[in-house]
Amino acid sequence: MRSQFFIPLLLFFPLLVVQTTIIPLFAFLNAIPDLILILLVFYSILNGQIYGTILGFVFGFLFDLITGSLLGSAMLSKTMAGFIAGYFSNENKRDIYLRSYTFSLIVLLSAVIDSMVYSFFSTADIQKNLLLIFFEQGMVPGLYTAVLSIIVIIFIPKRGIS
Amino acid sequence: MFRFFTRIWTQFKEYVVLVILLVASLIALSLNQKQEIKKVRSVAFGSFATITAIISDVINTAKVHSENERLRKANAELMLQVNRLREYGVLNEQLKGMLAMKDTFNFSLIPAAIVSKSLNKSQSSITINIGSRDSVKAGMPVINDQGLIGIIQSTSEDYAIARTLKNIDFKLTVKDERSRVDGIMKWTGEDLVIVDVPKTYDIEPGDRIITSELSSIIPIPIPVGVVIGLNKVETGIFNEVTIKPYVDFIKVENVFVMGVIQSKQRNDLELNFYRQK
Repeated sequence: MRSQFFIPLLLFFPLLVVQTTIIPLFAFLNAIPDLILILLVFYSILNGQIYGTILGFVFGFLFDLITGSLLGSAMLSKTMAGFIAGYFSNENKRDIYLRSYTFSLIVLLSAVIDSMVYSFFSTADIQKNLLLIFFEQGMVPGLYTAVLSIIVIIFIPKRGIS
Repeated sequence: MFRFFTRIWTQFKEYVVLVILLVASLIALSLNQKQEIKKVRSVAFGSFATITAIISDVINTAKVHSENERLRKANAELMLQVNRLREYGVLNEQLKGMLAMKDTFNFSLIPAAIVSKSLNKSQSSITINIGSRDSVKAGMPVINDQGLIGIIQSTSEDYAIARTLKNIDFKLTVKDERSRVDGIMKWTGEDLVIVDVPKTYDIEPGDRIITSELSSIIPIPIPVGVVIGLNKVETGIFNEVTIKPYVDFIKVENVFVMGVIQSKQRNDLELNFYRQK
């Protein structure tokens, strides 16, 4: 159990470095992909829903603490994202989910919810059309993250995931 | 009772964990202004920024050539502008002397590089590679050659986090450079706007927006952006003025921290005045 958390936490810090230094250079329509979320979804599918929820909470906590964003906002959104991604953790289907484009769809779903919750808790006034907010703050970063998650499918080892 | 809880846990443990962690997150949201939390955060981002600084240096070195080209051109343009401003400065000194006015333009510029960016729709912030050791304090404005970027939010010994203009917690008094009309500018999560501007005020698309001397945060004029539109024109008595910031927050790499902070004396005086009312 300890090593189950150790590896994702070990991967978290270099990914956060990339997320805050290199990834902003690739912003599209003011949206940037979320590498932390891809890592979270991957390990949530691999290890289950409770694990995903806790890992999301820990990732969110560290993210808020380190990047200076409102403490609690990423905690909340990543906890929910981990919970949703963990829903797809099934011993029989794990391989199918992680090795096919289904993984990107799960990332898309989790990323949209993550972005929506994050912006809901950190934006003061919501005067715009809800559908527009859903598109700009949820779908665009979610789609971008989902597209980037294809890299995981390509580079995932053929054997011995679990 | 124990059996009841055991059964609940067995059947709904995923949901129980989720609810507990969501409640913990909500509690964390309410603890943001605590001094202890601020201290922990400054230690955390300070340590992390040491690592991101190395990566940023590598990226900056790769970009330094094109940056040099741009800076050379900017230098030439600025040299011409400085010459003109010098003339104005001499004239200004003379006129101020005649009017016996105080000069409020004494401040230092501390150069810094951005080591990491946290860009999102509502709470964009940047981490820079100077901190309290370099006399950086919370509340100091962060600028570059294009205009205002944000203000310092917190500092560690060697690093500081600044809220950018695209942060909903950042509100600033600004003014229209042409018509001298003041207003409160804020980030809505979508646009940078001056809110509740009476329709009778003279603000037009294309006007330059600068910081206002009425601001207790940045009391010296720094370019902020340009007016690109007026909203809610049909209804009500107020307009909402949309501004396009001069600074491109995605591309910005090098910044200056201005050595000015809010005047405590002025703040205290104003607070006392309002309390007496």
